[in-house]
Amino acid sequence: MHALTAECTALWRARRLLFLMARRDLSARHAGSVLGIVWLYAQPLLTIAIYYLVFDVVFRMRLGDGAPTQAVGAYLIVGLVPWMAFSDAVLRGMISLLEAGALLQKNPLPTALFPARAVLTGALIYLPLTLALVFVYTPMHHFGAALLLLPLLVAALLAMWFLLAYSLAIVAAAVRDVVQIVGFFLGIGAFLSPVLFLPSMFPPAISWLLWANPMTPPVLGLQSILLSGAMPRAEVWLGMLAWLVALAVVLDRLVDRSREQLIDWL
Amino acid sequence: MSVALSVERLCKLYKLYDSPRARLQALVTGRPTHRPHWALRDVSFVLQRGQCLGVIGDNGAGKSTLLKLVAGTLRPTSGAITRGGDGRVTAILELGAGFHPDFTGRENLRFAGALIGIADDEIARLEAEIIAFAELEDAIDRPVKTYSSGMTVRLAFALATAVEPDVLIIDEALAVGDQHFQKKCVERIDSFRRAGCTILFCSHSQYHVRQLCDAALWIDTGQARLLGPTEMVLASYEAHVRMLDARKSQESMAAPAETASRAALSSPGRRGAITSVNASDLDGGSPPVLTSHDLAVTVSASVAGDERPNFGVMLQLVGGIGVTSVATHVDRVEPLPQPDGTWKVTVTFPDLPLHSGEYVLSAYLFDSKGMVVYDEWLHCIRFLFVAATPLPGLVTLRHHWS
Repeated sequence: MHALTAECTALWRARRLLFLMARRDLSARHAGSVLGIVWLYAQPLLTIAIYYLVFDVVFRMRLGDGAPTQAVGAYLIVGLVPWMAFSDAVLRGMISLLEAGALLQKNPLPTALFPARAVLTGALIYLPLTLALVFVYTPMHHFGAALLLLPLLVAALLAMWFLLAYSLAIVAAAVRDVVQIVGFFLGIGAFLSPVLFLPSMFPPAISWLLWANPMTPPVLGLQSILLSGAMPRAEVWLGMLAWLVALAVVLDRLVDRSREQLIDWL
Repeated sequence: MSVALSVERLCKLYKLYDSPRARLQALVTGRPTHRPHWALRDVSFVLQRGQCLGVIGDNGAGKSTLLKLVAGTLRPTSGAITRGGDGRVTAILELGAGFHPDFTGRENLRFAGALIGIADDEIARLEAEIIAFAELEDAIDRPVKTYSSGMTVRLAFALATAVEPDVLIIDEALAVGDQHFQKKCVERIDSFRRAGCTILFCSHSQYHVRQLCDAALWIDTGQARLLGPTEMVLASYEAHVRMLDARKSQESMAAPAETASRAALSSPGRRGAITSVNASDLDGGSPPVLTSHDLAVTVSASVAGDERPNFGVMLQLVGGIGVTSVATHVDRVEPLPQPDGTWKVTVTFPDLPLHSGEYVLSAYLFDSKGMVVYDEWLHCIRFLFVAATPLPGLVTLRHHWS
């Protein structure tokens, strides 16, 4: 883990620049618009509002037994918010090095800054929305003690996104096709996760596919905490830990093998 | 003097892959699937504090790779780069990298300043000075996308050099912008040099290398071919260039350089231009023959404002072998202002000590300090000189027999 440790150290040293870059990234996304920063939150908020109105107000659809909540809209929203954040962070993080090629060739900056910026920017948009969900859904179970685990879950989630985004950014620098392939998988990924369906709805023969999706454990964890007020099950933590370790090992190898030539590939 | 920068047996290997698939294979399996290309091999040098090293060489020789390695944007394959101290290192490898077109000049200053390690409070303190140097007082609150390329480059250079570094790395930065800006660049770099800043300077402008550098390093196909005093290294490099040019001219009919230099006169932003170059006593032949023992060359030029320019004249044998160069700022001669606002100077080479041959003259126009080349008419006059001596050679040196 020597290579990864060095990257994390460089990232920590450049943390002020990281926050500045994330702030600028946010500003750049709405530069030239009249409503400005409102647009960053309007898009996911509108999506949430539509799901709530359609499933919980108009059709009043209900889930069966074993679901963390009976309201279909609430179930979808709690899964979709982290999924949208994940898609945003991973997609932007994956292309971050390619986009920063000219800058990296002329300035001695840590490469880890760029995927980290994508994850941090995603967090700055979606964390307030997650907090809003806390205030909307946790009163239903009187702010249970499980809520205390939310920061840990979010921290693990952000670490996982960074490891995945940085790994993909290195691979995308080597082979641009990865951007298209990952884009496709992010498109279908929500169907292979507990975001749109209950895990019990998956045919047993392909239920393993759920765990091949890195977002399955954290989404299950968020559903437990926000919708049931229950501690996430051990498999959630084990699943996240397995993904974190696997991604850390992969990223360490990728950094080690590409270190000397990564900038040349951009 | 203490060591500011030490480079020891620096090597950079670029791994060339035949396809992206081969690159992916190497990344996933760790097995080598590349063809090696050594961009730099065993380059070593030591720069004392306050020294300025010019890096010269042909295109693709490895100059930029060396500068990027020293700046830290590339990682060396082997070798060591040691800096004598924790002082500031500024690398001007490309001006304007990191600017966002949608943000104003002022907003970009803060962000680009952070990218090159200038803290927020320091940027705030230096902001007025940077804007004044870049001459962007009226445009600083406009989005950078509305700037001309010259304005962007001015802002970037003003920012990059706002804080005096201990080590300054410059890659061809002087080749950008208009002449007014180039002049400011050269003056600022020269002021850093005089203040004791260590400079690593890569340029195709041998004139600037001569003016700014105490030592030069000639890199040829990735290896240090010659390291030493500027004049010695430049002389060897010029001989190498002449040899290459001679080879090329034998292979193809090159376009006359005269046309190129005169065409450049119409380029915008020029602060000065040569208006005429005349040599006396040439007959009407083709090529004309010098009918006098003396060669007198008169150069006229116009310059913006009331700046007193400097002139240079170079005499070469056709084919590129240099005979001599003279310049007013070197000889401490002041060109004469003309009633029409132009400037004129005549240099006379009395009793021309040349052997018979075909010669060519080039004329140069410099700024008041002789730092910036405003204009150059290369190979603008060609003439034949017939010497009394029948012996072969280039010049008749003063000599005595005993």
